[in-house]
Amino acid sequence: MLGKLIYENLQKYGFPYPIDKHICSSWAKDIPKQSSTILYTSCMYQTASLSEIYSKFIPYAEKLSAFSFLGKYIKPKKEELDRAYKILNRIVQLLKRNGIEFGYLYEEEPYSGAILLELGFLDEFSAYAKSVYKFFKEKGIKRIITVDPHTHNALTRYQEFIDKMDIEVVNYLELIKDAKAISDITFVVHDSCLYSRFLNLRDKYREIIEKSGIKTIEDELVTGNDTAFCCGSPIKPINPELSDKIAKARVQQLTKLSNNILVVCPMCYANLSKHHENIKDLTEVIE
Amino acid sequence: MNQEWDIAIQRTINNNVPRVSKILKEHQYILELAKKLREAKLKILSNLEEYIEQTLESVKRTGGNAYFVKDPSEARELVGKIVGKGKIVVFGKSMVAYELGIRKYLAQLGNEVWETDLGEFLIQLADEPPSHIIAPAIHMTKERVAKLLKEKLGFDVSENSTHEELVQKVREFLRNKFLSANVGITGANAVAADVGSIVLVENEGNIRMSTVVPPVHIAIVGVEKIVPTLEDALNEALVQAAYAGLYPPTYINVTSGPSSTGDIEMKRVSPAHGPKEFHLILVDNGRIKASKDEILREALLCIRCGRCHLHCPVYRVLDGMWGDAPYTGPMGAMWSYIIYGDGKPATYCTHSGNCKEVCPMKINIPKVLEYIKYLENKKQS
Ligand code: SF4
Repeated sequence: MLGKLIYENLQKYGFPYPIDKHICSSWAKDIPKQSSTILYTSCMYQTASLSEIYSKFIPYAEKLSAFSFLGKYIKPKKEELDRAYKILNRIVQLLKRNGIEFGYLYEEEPYSGAILLELGFLDEFSAYAKSVYKFFKEKGIKRIITVDPHTHNALTRYQEFIDKMDIEVVNYLELIKDAKAISDITFVVHDSCLYSRFLNLRDKYREIIEKSGIKTIEDELVTGNDTAFCCGSPIKPINPELSDKIAKARVQQLTKLSNNILVVCPMCYANLSKHHENIKDLTEVIE
Repeated sequence: MNQEWDIAIQRTINNNVPRVSKILKEHQYILELAKKLREAKLKILSNLEEYIEQTLESVKRTGGNAYFVKDPSEARELVGKIVGKGKIVVFGKSMVAYELGIRKYLAQLGNEVWETDLGEFLIQLADEPPSHIIAPAIHMTKERVAKLLKEKLGFDVSENSTHEELVQKVREFLRNKFLSANVGITGANAVAADVGSIVLVENEGNIRMSTVVPPVHIAIVGVEKIVPTLEDALNEALVQAAYAGLYPPTYINVTSGPSSTGDIEMKRVSPAHGPKEFHLILVDNGRIKASKDEILREALLCIRCGRCHLHCPVYRVLDGMWGDAPYTGPMGAMWSYIIYGDGKPATYCTHSGNCKEVCPMKINIPKVLEYIKYLENKKQS
């Protein structure tokens, strides 16, 4: 059963599928290890491009443990990894410039459990969330800064499964008060579904965009709060074809408004990039 | 993507989505009515069996017949008994009748059956499943409709015919069917437990004709359509019409038992001009079980406005064929599980969340679908 398999992989590799953990942590330098506030990546930016490959193995899930050796061989492409590392370092810079201090857990950083939640494996998610929470508590962590919507969503939902959760979860977008556009390109924003309609953060990043001086093109039926399409990424493990159809349709809608697409989520980037080249993460266009 | 679907759905979205937003902006009281309706429906759903009893009693007080059926075979048997053989039957729009396979069953018994809602009529001719809960032929372009009418009924129309010309032809054809029909079968948007009235909202006039012209009227309704009072039932009609995008609705029909008059010496006699028999069939088929589950219960609040469909990426890229007919789209992914025990459509939810933003009943559809995924996962483990 898929949920059990993912859960077992989480125990074995600290990730939903076999992976070399160095990939997750090699981006960070000079961030203290010990701190009651941590920056938490859940290895999402670093591995977003791999979800495509691994979703292809899901139909053979039962046998996937036999694929454990894959972790040694399947790595993101160098340019993809470089880009992800750059983005994470830019987030660090943005937070520092806004006076925020934090640490990072490097290779000890656990995965959030998001995929279990999104595939409806709630019992497995509950058990996993409890173990991650315990780990955070043992590390003396009081505040977690997330950098992507899937992780933020998973962590904010820990409280449904954990009695009196007392670790604060905040997203980096809530902490950036000031940022400037680095060029005068006009964008169409592809909103994150989770940020927009589940986590109440749409206004936060749209305010950052507006204040930075970036111009955006809007259309009620394409970028409205209740009309904007998903990128298709969450359905990838279940039905890659459907996921791709959604991504393609979304790119078609967006490019009618502008060739320059702006995203705020690594999974949106990975899924839409298959059909379009000019996609930027918010952190790549502000400083 | 299927090209015809893509053109048809894009036209529909352009026509409908901005119109619903405008209606809600201009008639803010609808938002209040929707809130009140949610509360009223929740009250029923937490005590459904008792309200079913009350409704059956109330209908009998109006001189109507009322029944409760558990599953499709009970429903078909009952309707078959009331209708008999060799009759002409006109259907107003009833998704529950589709769910129970009533039309095909009556045809098998040797009756002449006609759907009279234009969309239903078209899918009957094409022998295709409905693609949207209130606009069942949403997947057909105007050009395809013309071709279908020409091929199946020999109408003198072409792909250059206007929308108006196509509707006019169907009107002429169905008018005779209404006038010669022995039985009219409809659903209901709401049933008032306190007085036993059913309320139906529509624009075409086909429901009004189906409920009034034939001598026998049968309403087949899911038990979740019961609301506490006639006031709530009328509210449901207004809210449904506004969120469906046609406001004000052309007709709201209230039916309370068979037709009657007291005009001779004030003695109330039945029938008068309308039907001499009224039958209400309340259908369970999985609804009562769902009402006892705190999360699944939310799905039963659905008033079938069809708004969530037009905001959902999955529905759109799956060419409208997401869910088990007649239940498609986000609401259909929930209802496929409740009615048919099919959890697969729920697994296709990408939790875009647009559906929950636009739902008048504030159903957290992604949460219900997450829960269905969870139940399915548990079943498989
Ligand atoms: S789930 Fe909500 S939006 Fe969808 S059809 Fe039902 S009432 Fe309308």
